[in-house]
Amino acid sequence: MRVQFLATDNWYDLRDLSNLSSAILDGLDKIAPQGVVYVAAALIGFVAAFLIFVLPSQLFVGVLGERKLIGRIQSRYGPNRVGPYGVLQPIADALKLLTKESLTPVAADRLVMYMAPVLFVMPAVLMWAVIPFGPNMIFADIPVALVYFLAISSLPVLASFMAGWSHNNKYSLFGAMRIVAMAISYEIPLVLSLLGVVVLTETLSLQEMVFWQDRFDIWLFAVQPLAMIIYFIAVSAELNRTPTDIAEAESEIVAGYLTEYSGMKWGLFYGMDIGYALGAAAFGVTVFFGGWTLFGLEEWVPAWMIFVVKVWAFYFLFIWTRGTLPRLRIDQLMSFAWKYMLPLALFNLLIICTERILWTDAFDGDKPFIYLFAIANIIFAGLLILGWARLLGYRPERTQTRPRMVQEAGGYVPVAPARGEGR
Amino acid sequence: MEGVGVTIAFWVLAALTLIAAGGVMVSRNLLHAVLFLIVTFIGIAGFFVLLSAAFLAMAQIIIYVGAIAVLILFAILLTPRAGRGNSETKFALPATLLAISLAAVFLFVIHDTDWEVVQEDPSLAANQLGEALVGTWVVPFEIASVLLTAALVGAIMLVRTPEEEAEDALA
Amino acid sequence: MTSPIKSEPFVINIGPQHPSTHGVFRMKVTVDGEQVVDAEMVIGYLHRSMEKLAEERTYTQNIPFTDRTDYLSSMSNNLGYCLAVEKLAGIDVPERGQAIRVIMAELQRIASHFMALGAFTNDTGAWQTPVMWCLREREKVLDLFEMTSGARLTCNYMRIGGVAFDIPKDFEPATRKLIKTLPGFIDELEGLLSGNEIFLARTKNVAVIPPDLAVNASLAGPMLRGSGIAWDLRKADPYCGYEKYDFAIPIGYQGDSYDRFIVRVEELRQSVKIIEQALDGLPGGPHSTQVPLALRPPKGEAYARVEGPRGELGYYVVSDEGPSPYRFHIRPPSLINLSVLKEMTVGGSVADAIVALGSVDIVVGEIDR
Repeated sequence: MRVQFLATDNWYDLRDLSNLSSAILDGLDKIAPQGVVYVAAALIGFVAAFLIFVLPSQLFVGVLGERKLIGRIQSRYGPNRVGPYGVLQPIADALKLLTKESLTPVAADRLVMYMAPVLFVMPAVLMWAVIPFGPNMIFADIPVALVYFLAISSLPVLASFMAGWSHNNKYSLFGAMRIVAMAISYEIPLVLSLLGVVVLTETLSLQEMVFWQDRFDIWLFAVQPLAMIIYFIAVSAELNRTPTDIAEAESEIVAGYLTEYSGMKWGLFYGMDIGYALGAAAFGVTVFFGGWTLFGLEEWVPAWMIFVVKVWAFYFLFIWTRGTLPRLRIDQLMSFAWKYMLPLALFNLLIICTERILWTDAFDGDKPFIYLFAIANIIFAGLLILGWARLLGYRPERTQTRPRMVQEAGGYVPVAPARGEGR
Repeated sequence: MEGVGVTIAFWVLAALTLIAAGGVMVSRNLLHAVLFLIVTFIGIAGFFVLLSAAFLAMAQIIIYVGAIAVLILFAILLTPRAGRGNSETKFALPATLLAISLAAVFLFVIHDTDWEVVQEDPSLAANQLGEALVGTWVVPFEIASVLLTAALVGAIMLVRTPEEEAEDALA
Repeated sequence: MTSPIKSEPFVINIGPQHPSTHGVFRMKVTVDGEQVVDAEMVIGYLHRSMEKLAEERTYTQNIPFTDRTDYLSSMSNNLGYCLAVEKLAGIDVPERGQAIRVIMAELQRIASHFMALGAFTNDTGAWQTPVMWCLREREKVLDLFEMTSGARLTCNYMRIGGVAFDIPKDFEPATRKLIKTLPGFIDELEGLLSGNEIFLARTKNVAVIPPDLAVNASLAGPMLRGSGIAWDLRKADPYCGYEKYDFAIPIGYQGDSYDRFIVRVEELRQSVKIIEQALDGLPGGPHSTQVPLALRPPKGEAYARVEGPRGELGYYVVSDEGPSPYRFHIRPPSLINLSVLKEMTVGGSVADAIVALGSVDIVVGEIDR
């Protein structure tokens, strides 16, 4: 479906890059034999989506920007030696990793160990096939794009597990099993939160969701704040980022699943960690924050520029939580997923389904009622988060953040029981 | 689905699936067998896409690769002696004969059946699937969910330590 | 119902090369599934035989040794040793010397607590953000030390009979500037961590030490005070004129890691209060009494203790009228505090063992000497 924005059909119009690619493909179709156009389309899509948009973002925003931002949070400069303001740091990192010696333990399973980084890179690249960068700039506009994303996000788990198992190291295995348990626990709130969005927009296709948000002039983040928060937490847990990064931090004590990897194999894990984080950010932006639309600005500014800036802003949220929060223990993580996030996601689904039925039957799908639902949902989200937490025993007023103060040295000073409760 | 690309995709996927399935049978290491099984699942998901059932393909990957394969991996890892290789067994020859006869039966059935060829693209959309599940087939759907809950509760009961059981025992 | 699932315990070595900044310390933890069943510490990686070496050197030459036992709180170490020798030899310290000693000891407490808090939050997994903030503030204290004694870490500043040099002219304005900004920073640190749900989840009810265990194991310092026991040597057995200053002792509620954390944060505030009072009332006069170069104290023994940042730091000196001590023994608070390691860690998980070790706040230099 071709949407006419201010962007024209000329091949040199940069605001809609699909003009360029369709010009190239039409030209190829005339001169090449029958099936080559498919291969060329795939190549152009890969070059455009991954090499032009994603890889520089990954290197400069992901590697360099993250380190400089975390440095600034910690009141220090980030890397600033290599190149002006440290701009060449990712290249220096890549060169270092390429020239490092790749050790393989003798008793490790070589084939699986070599395959695991490859399998980890695959989903991070595949994910970008369904992300819309603009009205016609989507590589594969399949009608089940959301489920495709969920399917892709269950593959890195397997790759991490293969990595941990192939080292033939008891501690790596230990770490890898924990990662897998955590990842599958957090997939369920992830799916449920996205289901809420699907119920409202009646479609599984990402491009359609962006059009829905454009048509109703409201971002799905405002209509479903709870789903967005659950998505954010669940996806950070899937990506093994702090506060849920027991994968990397298991190496405090037990070596994580990345122990025996050195050199570029580790570099692939690290780089694709960032790539996958950017992909999850891109997905979150498309579903919850309006994708490549910005309430009409996309008719002047190229849509892909808006999209990339929004992805960087979402990724900034990841960086921010990483720099600030401590890490949770594995059993606390699992209980958080099952006892807190899952019921919240179910409640969210319930509320959204009720609203959707109200909307179509009682209000006939009129636009202004969406805003009403948005306000109601924000209130519900706040109430649910606090209410469910209190139900589970969260009593912030009971924690003492200041110690007791005494003036005389003596013996044991017993704790006085708080009024109204025996302790 | 028609076209050159589809034919090429079909043959590539068929080769991939069959080789992976063969790998499952043949590999000595149990974990390698599971990894080959995962490749088989992905191949089958590809077949679903070729049959215009994109949603089923994704569901296949999510459920089989993302959950069931992980389950099998956990089961292998938590069982102490499961890592030992598939050794020779005296059932090899009878099993091969049985497999060949089963394959022969299937092939004859497939060859002799009058298959109904669908002309138009069925294109199963997700909402049709959803409507069918909670409309026509709601009873099996609910029974399946009850069964899964029972399995979940049973699994939790099985792994309780004696102390936990003593805690909840009727005093 | 069915036979219990057997899982064999295996030993994890939290080895001498430790990712957290605790020094060369080894903990052998026996784990059964997820739970810690046994914890054993292996020490001695940093043994430098200081106590024996001290018998070859004169009393004044031993002061740099004391710097290096607990390298994160060198002023307190110096102070304890000088107090012991002064008790032995019957030397009085002038008022100004005592006030300067108090200021230096409290500044050292601030620096050491910053390091301890930073390392502790590092153990809980906060990706170095609190560490960097704490170390940034600690740098200001270390600048003050460098101004007075010439060294940042191993100051070698106290002498028998007083302090080595008088405080320079720039010291007082710089210290006043520091104590004006420090409470704001402590509030910032509290705002980042003390109410943080994740931090609370990691440290509450982790490594609980009940009060009777704390007393029986002769713990000291924030470990003792975290369990609710109001014992501080600055109040109970005052030295160096501490009885003149007005400050309070923070004590915790139930002795878990969180209590020790908030006790340390509050001690920072109290130290700022003491420094302010000491600076306001800084008397004139000499900063130390003259002591012969080769001091020969009369025969006898003396034990002096100070409230170091980690607890009761004691020095036991025996003299036989020679220029060197006959016996020189240090009571290391970290080693005594570690004696409850097994009780703290058994029953929790391995991650809790790391947090427990962080909350003890050890310095391996004084464990091994």
